[in-house]
Amino acid sequence: MPGTTAVRDVELIIEDSRGGGGGGQPPAGGNGGDDGDDGKRRRNGSPSSRRFSTAITIGVISILMFFMALASAFLVLRHTSEVWVTVHLPRILWFNTLVLVGSSFTLERARSRLALRDMLGFRRLWFAGTLMGFVFVGGQLVAWRQLVAQGVYIASNQASSFFYIFTGAHAVHLLGGVAALLFVALRNFEKSQISISTAAEITSYYWHFMDGLWVFLFVLLFLGA
Amino acid sequence: MVTYDSGANQPKSPPAGFLSRHLFTTDHKTIGLQYLWLALFSVFLGMAISLLMRIHLVWPVARLPFLSALGSTPESFATLPLLHGSLMVFLVLTAAPQAGFGNYFLPLQIGAREMAFPTLNLFSFWVTVVSLIGMTAAFLVAPQSGITLWIVSVSVFCAASLFSALNFTVTTIDLRAQGMTLPRLPLTVWAWLINAILSLLIFSILLAACLCLLSDRFFGTHFFSAVNFLASQPANIAADALPALWQRLFWFFAQAEVYVAMLPCFGIISHLIATFSRKPVWKERLVVLALCGVGLVGFCVWGQHMFSSGMNPSSPLVFSLLAASLGLPATILIISWFGTLWDARIQLNTSMLFALGFISLFLAGGLSGIFLARHDLASSAVSEEFVAGHFHLVMGVAATFAILGALFFWFPKLFGRRLNEPLGKIHFWLTFAGVYCVFMPMHWLGLISHANIRSDSGLTAIAALIGPVRSFITFAILITVFAQGLFLFNFLWSLFRGKKIEECNPWRATTLEWSVSSPPPADDFGVREPVVYRGAYEFGVPGVAEDFVPQHLAPGEVVRTCSLE
Repeated sequence: MPGTTAVRDVELIIEDSRGGGGGGQPPAGGNGGDDGDDGKRRRNGSPSSRRFSTAITIGVISILMFFMALASAFLVLRHTSEVWVTVHLPRILWFNTLVLVGSSFTLERARSRLALRDMLGFRRLWFAGTLMGFVFVGGQLVAWRQLVAQGVYIASNQASSFFYIFTGAHAVHLLGGVAALLFVALRNFEKSQISISTAAEITSYYWHFMDGLWVFLFVLLFLGA
Repeated sequence: MVTYDSGANQPKSPPAGFLSRHLFTTDHKTIGLQYLWLALFSVFLGMAISLLMRIHLVWPVARLPFLSALGSTPESFATLPLLHGSLMVFLVLTAAPQAGFGNYFLPLQIGAREMAFPTLNLFSFWVTVVSLIGMTAAFLVAPQSGITLWIVSVSVFCAASLFSALNFTVTTIDLRAQGMTLPRLPLTVWAWLINAILSLLIFSILLAACLCLLSDRFFGTHFFSAVNFLASQPANIAADALPALWQRLFWFFAQAEVYVAMLPCFGIISHLIATFSRKPVWKERLVVLALCGVGLVGFCVWGQHMFSSGMNPSSPLVFSLLAASLGLPATILIISWFGTLWDARIQLNTSMLFALGFISLFLAGGLSGIFLARHDLASSAVSEEFVAGHFHLVMGVAATFAILGALFFWFPKLFGRRLNEPLGKIHFWLTFAGVYCVFMPMHWLGLISHANIRSDSGLTAIAALIGPVRSFITFAILITVFAQGLFLFNFLWSLFRGKKIEECNPWRATTLEWSVSSPPPADDFGVREPVVYRGAYEFGVPGVAEDFVPQHLAPGEVVRTCSLE
């Protein structure tokens, strides 16, 4: 009966089902004996940590769709309008891009310190990466202010609308990443469900994605202008 | 034994306190039920609005208490279809089969104790509630601010759906019990998974489109509004470039949204038909492939709504072919349902009746879909009422039948009591006849409005028919709504007075949720780790005493009629 099966019995039965291919049915039906996937899953570690990396992978695809919708709107409007007022992209964007790409490298170096169990080195580099994230967001704000000083507002023309929407939406997603970086840096992982190395890995994946996404958007805005 | 539920799936004791136990709990079962209550509220509100619209269409001067005030001005009457549609599509068809039944039964069916991110799940639910309040309130404020509020509410709903879909996907990928391999997943779980992936892709698109739309309204940008754009353009530029952009983004979401509403229903119907035919799902793997096919092709057919928008001349053909190719997975599903039913000892209870009704509606509505998928017919010969008839049959009503079938099936699991069967059957037959009487004449009205009439007398004869047909539709709606009143009575009465079930598996079903008591305990499976030994549809296995073998039953526990050599 359900609920009364002792653990030891279950062990035996699992052995049994592995050997026999499940439920006394011949495996030809395709329903039994398909435990290869199972074994693979168990090797990868417990689901409590794996669910976070799965979530990030899937979440990244969803965020990518969001930006692709905006990018496709940009391309469609760019090609259908004959009079496209170009926006002169502020030069500080180049600096911002460098800082963001640099922050990704810094985080990777931090993770390699973590792999060597050098916690102090990890924390230093990790904080440096987080700081570079803040510098990037600050730099984007400076770029906005420079455009405003030139009299280019969000409603000025379609190119400027896209510039503000792209940078704004990216900054919101990036701030989520900054919060995650701070969380990893400040949280005590001893009682946590996941280890600090897993948390650092997952956060850095998201950060690299944000990094790549910015480079894509920057190229799009640059070529579009 | 390997227990790989180390963190997420620890058995939990229920929290104390009314609020934390019933309103703000992270328990997947309570959240699933809350979604179902939300859908029940929304469906009756949406139905009342449709009744109001049809009554005013036939008897413009009729006064209804409470309701008539809602549609008293031309603006508010024009917003009635919007409110009806957004309630039904978002809060009923999207929320009930996926978030409602999915939240309750997905973890139970795969042997997980919780969703992957319970707190995120709770957050998604309450964000959905906020969007329901926003959508309904949008209708009561002034039109301009109402539309803004509505768009904000839809964006909020998108965010909730994205979080919920993320939760579903991760749960199905990572939290399956031991032995629950992909081929052993029940078709319901497959459908919920594919649907969650599809939702993740399309709700982001709608969110991006809503962001641009809100930016147009708040900041004065011109993503979709053509005012300043046209003023600065030479006259020969196609004036419909900007609205077409919105149409593209919207239909990219909305056409796939149809499949988001339908996919879980396909899974539920296959599940019900197998259980009540006492036979395995015919060609189960092909059905899984067909579900994937619906998700994939459904994602690529947005252009079929834009045949008349001045798109590239060759693209209608592509979209037309893609839309028509949806017939392939749909046919596989239908053949599988009939293949399962073939030569089966069918148990004709209310749940099964609704499943069979679903097939009938899906076939009838799908046939008129072939007209709409043809780019040469859709743009010229088919009018609004034809489209309304088509999608109400195939999407709205069919999905509602699947939801009702699922409710009759899972009610004993949800509440430990059965719904009343005779009352349920009366409800089914009245609804079944009612919806055909409502939506079939709509097809005819749509076709007749584009008929090629050559004489005045022909025109008069047809014009004289349209009024009585509209009245007939309204009478049919009154009967259908009355039948739903019967259902509401049955539901509420059975909740407190329904026949209690003695055993935990009254339908003799195979999946894991029936291995626990009804309603399931707070920690779902107790101290026992659920283990799965076989596929989800092992009915009529030769050499076994009973005609079904549950997934959780160990090979040694299966009672056999004769000893195997």
